[in-house]
Amino acid sequence: MNSQNRPFGSYQQRFAGSSNPTIKNPSTQVSQDAQFNDRDCLNDMLATEKWLTDGFNVMAREASHQSLHNDIMNILNETHQATRDLFNLMFEKGWYTIQPEQPTQVAKEYQKFQGYESQFPQQQSTPYGSGGMYQPRQF
Amino acid sequence: MYRERYSQQYRMNQPPRVLSTKDCAYLTDALSWELLAAKKAHFMASQCSDQQIKQQLEQISQLHQTHYDVLLNQLNTTEHDHEHFGYQGFRQ
Repeated sequence: MNSQNRPFGSYQQRFAGSSNPTIKNPSTQVSQDAQFNDRDCLNDMLATEKWLTDGFNVMAREASHQSLHNDIMNILNETHQATRDLFNLMFEKGWYTIQPEQPTQVAKEYQKFQGYESQFPQQQSTPYGSGGMYQPRQF
Repeated sequence: MYRERYSQQYRMNQPPRVLSTKDCAYLTDALSWELLAAKKAHFMASQCSDQQIKQQLEQISQLHQTHYDVLLNQLNTTEHDHEHFGYQGFRQ
């Protein structure tokens, strides 16, 4: 489904050359044999949910009338929530590792993209925080 | 002119509540996805030993069943033209 980003945490998670501590819970042990274990269940279901969100995203965009579009948007949103719940549960079980970026690197990128704001076509400053800015057309 | 006024008056600013062929094709596809997902989550739940995982998977199975009914409702033409309140979100 997604070749660039692994669809789920790989079994070997090593981060060479980093001084930052990884963010991770102690791993819940599962059988290491050919048996389909609890972790495999969650991984498989997570992949399914991710696949579903892709499908509903396209469907929401292509829907003809508003009531259909609204229903699909609600389903899309709830499918995302289910995906998120599965991800959080896997993290809780210690099956996901998060590697924090170096704060110096984050600061560098911030500086760079803050500089790009000079390229904005509209001079008015945008209030901090996303959403709520775009007013949909009223019927 | 009359013709002009007519077209102005009846110009639609968004599509009417009518299912297109494409809507129908997507809906039948999505119904199959949801049914499969509901069955799959339920099956997975039965295979798991961890109680917390079991419960999460069962809840997700329930969610897909609910979504199935929402999609099916969009195909139900008798209900459609009268009162359709739209999907209000998943309730347990």
